[in-house]
Amino acid sequence: MSSDVLLSVKDISIFSEDRQCNIVDTISFDVIEGSIHSIIGPNGAGKSTIGYAIMGIYHPCSGKIFFEGENISDLTITERAKRGITLAWQTPARFDGLSVYDYIGVGVKDKNLIEQRVTEALEIVNLNPDIYLKRKVDANLSGGERKRIELASVIAMRPKLVILDEAEAGMDLIVLESFMDIFNKIKELRMTILIITHREDIGMVSDNSTLIWDGKVLANGSFRDIMVLYCQKAGLKKICSRTLFNQFDESVDKIIEEETRENKI
Amino acid sequence: MSERSDSSEILNSLEKYDLDISDYLPSHSGPKLVLNFNKITTVSEVEGIILKGREIENGIIADIVIKEGTVFEDPIHLCFGVNKETGLQEIFPRIIAEDNSSVTLQAHCSFPNAKNLTHKMFGHIYVGKNCKFVYNETHYHGEQNGATVAPVSYVYVGENSYFENNFFLTQGTIGRMKIQIDIYAFKDSRINSNVKAFGKNSLDSIRVRDAVFLEGENARSIIKMKAAAIGGGEVMMFGITEGNAANTTGHVDCTEIVKDRGSRCRAIPLIRATDESCHITHEASLGKVDSAQLNALMARGLDEDEATDLIIKNML
Repeated sequence: MSSDVLLSVKDISIFSEDRQCNIVDTISFDVIEGSIHSIIGPNGAGKSTIGYAIMGIYHPCSGKIFFEGENISDLTITERAKRGITLAWQTPARFDGLSVYDYIGVGVKDKNLIEQRVTEALEIVNLNPDIYLKRKVDANLSGGERKRIELASVIAMRPKLVILDEAEAGMDLIVLESFMDIFNKIKELRMTILIITHREDIGMVSDNSTLIWDGKVLANGSFRDIMVLYCQKAGLKKICSRTLFNQFDESVDKIIEEETRENKI
Repeated sequence: MSERSDSSEILNSLEKYDLDISDYLPSHSGPKLVLNFNKITTVSEVEGIILKGREIENGIIADIVIKEGTVFEDPIHLCFGVNKETGLQEIFPRIIAEDNSSVTLQAHCSFPNAKNLTHKMFGHIYVGKNCKFVYNETHYHGEQNGATVAPVSYVYVGENSYFENNFFLTQGTIGRMKIQIDIYAFKDSRINSNVKAFGKNSLDSIRVRDAVFLEGENARSIIKMKAAAIGGGEVMMFGITEGNAANTTGHVDCTEIVKDRGSRCRAIPLIRATDESCHITHEASLGKVDSAQLNALMARGLDEDEATDLIIKNML
């Protein structure tokens, strides 16, 4: 294992009692320290399941997960969090009575830093601390607000590895546009990011990508190569155009077009 | 010990509720009726609010009248405390809020040293038309499971009035407690009743019957009951809403968390409609802490017990 590998997933399989089959099948990939790594794939491919397995919520029936060289496969969620792994949930839980301040501050180890970290994290996700600190993390928050508070809570915690499970889902366009800034800020704070997404405009910030298809790794590589493969596999002749990232879309579209012309697809 | 320091001790026992005790101490100038066991130690009236107390064999009769049109922002303080270990205290409050009045009553029932102590209350509250009446009752029964507490209240809420009931017993032990509150809501009135209780060990037993009878057209109500039972504690919540007039709307919401062997939670929502235009609903959830909430907190480094405690503490 290379010394700059922070997380190494080795041949993990996860069996579903309901479906009586492996929903994740002998998956392997490495996440380099300080990088942004994306797991890409269509709905139902098993992306979130992998994130939950790394966090310790799901337990693989085979394979191992290494974090900083340590086999963490048998550790609890709490033990993994204490080693520096955390996860921002696709649909974050809501809590009666728990304030935004207390929720974001839960993961801050040094209790003297809570106020500073919470305020700073809210500012990074573009929420005004004066308005949000005393609000409750309950049903009165909109879906987008709750997602931003989830991001703030992982930023305040300062883990070594942040797993973002479809962090962009439910966000409004203005926040989406500032996602790059948020990712860059997280990187500046020396956190490694594992993005789980099926959106190419979010995945394009990543340094490396893993394409998951039907519970298996189809390829590891650069995001551009992975997207070309993704489009080919999905039978798409063009990436869905998104105004924010047209330039990137056009470059991938060009590759697909050329390969189609050369009958490679 | 002087009566004044007795009262201070009783109030200080409530500090865990993050109350600003200075607002309620005998020296404070707001309206108040303070009891030390079965003796009235302080009665303080203000313009528009009449407070009268009469001592009887094992307690007092308290008469409170909020005069028509009185709007008072600071709470009227009722302190029914006992710092003895044993005894019987019986309270008979009769409260009238005349039309167009707006007040908050804060009742503290604190029994910090209870070992074999019984507190009974039998109260009536009459709220006139176009009123806003908030009744907060905060209990502290000490740490020795030694209290037996049985308050019964009947509340009548007049036309176009708002009545809010907040009953909290979440700090210290409960001992044995049986609460009954029946609220009769008349035309266009709105009722908001909240009960929170926390049973912490096998000697804690709490039964709550919170009932709203929507007797006038367009009356609306919501009952929220939240409880947790840990360490063998027992909680039973009985939420009742009846729609007995046209276009009444009511909802009963009961959430109870149960943790540890021997702990028991029960919820019995009972809803009834006698008019086709009523809309009465209920929901109840009992059992362990929601796993999504637990996982979220554990992923930030809390262990399961710490996460459970935080969830219960904030819910209550």
